[in-house]
Order: sequence, then C-alpha cells, then structure tokens
Amino acid sequence: MLATNLVGIAVTTVILGSIYGLVAIGMTLIYGTLRILDMSQGSMVMVGSFIGWGILVVAGWNPVLAIVAAFIATFILGALTQLVSVQPLMKRRNAIDFEMVTFITTFAVAMVLTNVALEVFGPFQRNVKNVVSGSINVYHGVDLPYQSLTMALVSIALMAGLGVFLSRSRWGMAIRAVAQNLDAARLMGVPVGKLYPITMGLASALAGIAGVFLGGLYFAYPGAGDLPLLEALIVVIFGGLGSLPGTVYAAYAIGLIQATAEVIVGTTWSLPILYGVILLVLIVRPYGLLGRPSEARL
Amino acid sequence: MRQSAFPGMTSSRWSLTGLAVLIAAVIPLVIGNQYTLSVMVTTLILLVLNISWNFVLGVAGVWNFGQLALYALGGYGAGIIMLHSSVSPWLALLAGGVVAAVAAVLLSFPTLRLYGIYTSLLTFAFAEVIQYVILNDGSGLTGGSFGLPIVPGLYSSLSLNAATRTYYWTTLAVVVIATLALAAVGHSRLGIALRGIRDAPAYAAARGVNPLRYRIIAFAISGFLAGIAGALYVSYNQSISPSVMGLTPMSVYVTMLVIGGLGTATGPIIGTILVQIVATLLVTHPGTEFTVLGLFLLVVVVFVPDGLTGLIARYWRRIAAWAAEEDAQPAQDDEAAPDEEPQGEQEGSPDPHVA
Repeated sequence: MLATNLVGIAVTTVILGSIYGLVAIGMTLIYGTLRILDMSQGSMVMVGSFIGWGILVVAGWNPVLAIVAAFIATFILGALTQLVSVQPLMKRRNAIDFEMVTFITTFAVAMVLTNVALEVFGPFQRNVKNVVSGSINVYHGVDLPYQSLTMALVSIALMAGLGVFLSRSRWGMAIRAVAQNLDAARLMGVPVGKLYPITMGLASALAGIAGVFLGGLYFAYPGAGDLPLLEALIVVIFGGLGSLPGTVYAAYAIGLIQATAEVIVGTTWSLPILYGVILLVLIVRPYGLLGRPSEARL
Repeated sequence: MRQSAFPGMTSSRWSLTGLAVLIAAVIPLVIGNQYTLSVMVTTLILLVLNISWNFVLGVAGVWNFGQLALYALGGYGAGIIMLHSSVSPWLALLAGGVVAAVAAVLLSFPTLRLYGIYTSLLTFAFAEVIQYVILNDGSGLTGGSFGLPIVPGLYSSLSLNAATRTYYWTTLAVVVIATLALAAVGHSRLGIALRGIRDAPAYAAARGVNPLRYRIIAFAISGFLAGIAGALYVSYNQSISPSVMGLTPMSVYVTMLVIGGLGTATGPIIGTILVQIVATLLVTHPGTEFTVLGLFLLVVVVFVPDGLTGLIARYWRRIAAWAAEEDAQPAQDDEAAPDEEPQGEQEGSPDPHVA
C-alpha cells in the first residue's frame, strides 16, 4: 500500500512537473528578456490544443504534424502578440509601471484570443485524440498512460533543448545577452528589435506544444488556457521570476506537493494546500526560490 | 493652517457635481422600464466595487488582484447573515463590509512583504483559492457552484419595480458618499502618504512615512467598501454565486478602471458607465463583447496611458489656458494665477502626447 502510494506520487510528480515546466519556462524566458509577465501564454496553450484537435481529430493526420503545426502557429501568434501589445510600450521600458502596463496589454490579448475562439468554435469541450494511446502498468495499481509519458519526455527534451539553445547557439546567446545587459548587447550589434518578437514567439511555441498534449488529457475549449496559466504563474513566482533553473526546480517541487496532497487528502484540497505552502515560502523568501531581489535575470 | 477637504473643487465644480447627482437621482422617475433600471442598478453596484478597487490600485498603487474575492466575501457574509438570522438587513450589509475589511487586512500582511508583480500574483492566487473553496464547499453553507439560495435582501416587502427604484437610490447614495469620502481621504495626510509611497517608496520611507501602516489602512478601507458592494449585490440579486469572481469578470472591471483612468476620482465613474453601455449595446451580439473590450483596452493602454479622464483633463486644461489668456488681456494678470498654479508643473508634459 505504502509502496503503491510512493510510486504513484513519484509518477504523478514527474508528469505534473513536466507539464508545469513546459508552460512556465516560456513565461520565465519572456520575463528574463523583456521584463514582462506574459498573460497570453494560457491562450497559446488553448490555441495549441485546438490545433491538436483540428489535425488529429478533424483531419486525422499524424501527431508529429500536429506538434509541428502548433509550434509554427503559436510562434507566429506569440511574435505578433509582442509586436502589437508590447513593442509600442518599449519606449516606456524604464517607467515604474512598465510591468503592470504590459501585464494589462498581454491580458487584453488573451481576452481577445479566448473570445475569438469562443466565437469561432463555441463553448463546447472537444475531445482531442491522444497523441499516443495505451498505458503501461508501472507497479501494482499504478498505471502510466503513454500520453503522459510521452508528454513528460517531450517536455524534458524541450527544456533541455532550450537550455542548449540558450547556451550554445548564436540567437540563444543574443537572448541571454539582452537579458543581462540591454545596452551592452545593443552595442555588440545584437538586433534587439528582432530579438524580442522571436523570444516571445519561442516561448509561446513551447506553450502551444504543451497545448497539443494537454488537449488529450483534458479537452480543447476556449477556456482551456486558464488553468495552465494559473499553474504557470504559481511555478514562476515560486521559482523566482526570471530564473530558468529556479523555474524547473519549482515545477517539479509543485508537482511533488500536489501529488502528495492528492494521495493523502484527496483532489479537492490539493490546490488550497499548494497555495498555503507557496504563501509560506513567499513569506520567508519574498522573491521565490532562486529569484534575486532587484534584477532577477536568466 | 487648515485646508479644505477638497482643494481641487471650486464652487462651479461643486454645482456641476450636484447637478449630475440630481439628474442621476431623477432618472428612475422618468424611466419605468424594468430592464433598463436593473442594468443601471447593476452598474451602480459595480461602481461601488470599482471605486473601492481604484483606491487600492490607483491611489495606494498596490496591485491587488484579489479585490473580487473581498467583494464575494462581503456578499457571502451579508447573504448568510440575512438568510440565517433575523437581524436587520442593514446590519447584515455593514457586516459584509466588516468581513471583507478583516479579510483585506489579513491578506495585506503577506502581500505587502512582496514587491511589484509578485503582489499581483499572490493576490490573484488568493482570489482563486477563495473561489475554489466556495465551489468545493461541501458543508452547504455557501451552496457550492449554485450559490446562495433566495436571500431576502433589503427591501423584500416592496414590489419588484419599487424595490428596483429603491435599490437604485440606495446604491446611488453609496456611490456619492464613497466618492466624496475617498476624495477627501485622497487629499488628507493618509492620501498624500499613500501617493508618496506609490511614487517614491524609498524617499517616502526616508521621510518617516511607514509604508506598511498606511497601506494596511488602505487595504482595510478598500476592503470594507468592496464588501459593501458585495452585500448590495447579494441583496439586490437575492443570490450570489462563485461566478462573480474569476478571470472573466475581473478582466471587464480592470478594463473599466484603466479606460476611465486609474487613481482619479472620476475615472472609475466614467470607465464603468462607458464600458457598461458598450457591453449592454453588444448584448445582441453575444461573444463579441469581450473581443471588443479587449481591443478597446489594448488601444487605450498603448495610446492613452492615463485613461479618458487624463485625456479630457489635458484638453480641458488647454481650453482653460486659452480662455485664461483671452481673459488676461483686459483683466489683471493676478486673476488667472491662483487657478493655474496646481497644474503649473504639468503644463509642459501634456503637449507631446496630444500632438
């Protein structure tokens, strides 16, 4: 019994942590580079799950195609979001309320996207076919669906890929340079104007891929992005805004807390317990696990 | 030296305000349509909520996104008292405000340790938890997702139309009192301290202004008013459900505040009424409402950062300056000076925006 619970907790932790990480890491990337909290990330998850539904269910095509299509579509959408809602405000970058103003404009974009989806697709929840079907019995009574396993693996691969991209590639180093010192990066010839939409597109694309998988676990509907957004926000605060390693640790820590709470006290109270723990962490460490007081950067 | 509680108000402005209130008070006598009246009562209740939110968000500069939870707590508190006890509904109304004020003070302790964006995340999470707990409440006290059953309300003995009118005047009175009271607070030591902490936290603290103390008071005042708004909501609608909270209503109210102009006394009034009119006109095209509001919000934040109140004030100031210039030729130069003085320091900045 105890062993079953422990294995169950471990499996749920890895799955939840990977999902949370994939959505939250995009927000961290955006916060680190642009100093904004992108509220449209939830809508990107929603768009991703609708693309998954369109390609897997309506067209009946290959899952890989769904993932690639979601990546491209949400990349473009994310870049456009930056151009429309953030770029016009960049001249006010040093104003005291910049974070808040961009919070509101990206929120407005999320509002528009959600309600356009509502207009086009209606409020119905649509089943998205699993990317991979079937499940494996890990231990007595602990089932691991292949969908969740694939999703965890893809998330981990994408997070690792993002790490390599940021530390090795030319564009990745440019993104980090901008995050560390905007003026120096500009003087070194980094095309800052192009970099911002690309960063936001990249982060949105990660959320879009998460959406394809999450659509299979839950449903595709206009409000599909709300819960992932909330979870990503929690992960991001918990880990410390702008810290990539902090985000990854926080994603798994929160997965662990939630999995444990679900096994011990049931699903109903797992979210309030999670908030309670985070509240305590924030009272002790007001800037999250790895955040730094003034300039938390990548 | 003792100053007036409302330094910006000249006698002509007072009479304009009085006229506006008088017109607002006469409206229900002219309009008999039940639907229009109920939309107006709902607008006034929202206005109370938005005035309370504007105080903590705009004047105190604390990005509290948990205001709807305080609103709901006030509503549930008042509603439960009205349902389960025989005390006067007016006491229940006040109790709703007190419940929300206590919750606001409790919320302020962890919140005020945080800075900037973390504040909004924590308060937002607080609202989500309150909503979640009410939704999953198994004890039957709150009624879960269905909400509270038929609450008697303030005027249960009146007919529907008469009750709607009476609610209209009640909420109008609350709006007027709240606006005047918060405007007076805004010009008092408390208000000046809050603005100082908002605009230059380090300087204010160095001058001996205790940020924590003033901001907790701001939370309490704003929470009390939000609770009153919730209590008015529950007694007018005779029920309340967790759907009053959440991302969707919050996005509408934020839109109202930002479009009107945050931190000003008239901003919430203009924003709330305008957005409510737009939303009511779009009722015949369901779904487009939020798309339009979202685009509206985007455009206002990008192009008119200080909201419609700021826009109107800039044009008004230009006209006033032009009129004062015309007047100044025949009359003495001193006459225009005292009126100009408070705005003098901002005189240079508006022009680049307007052009």
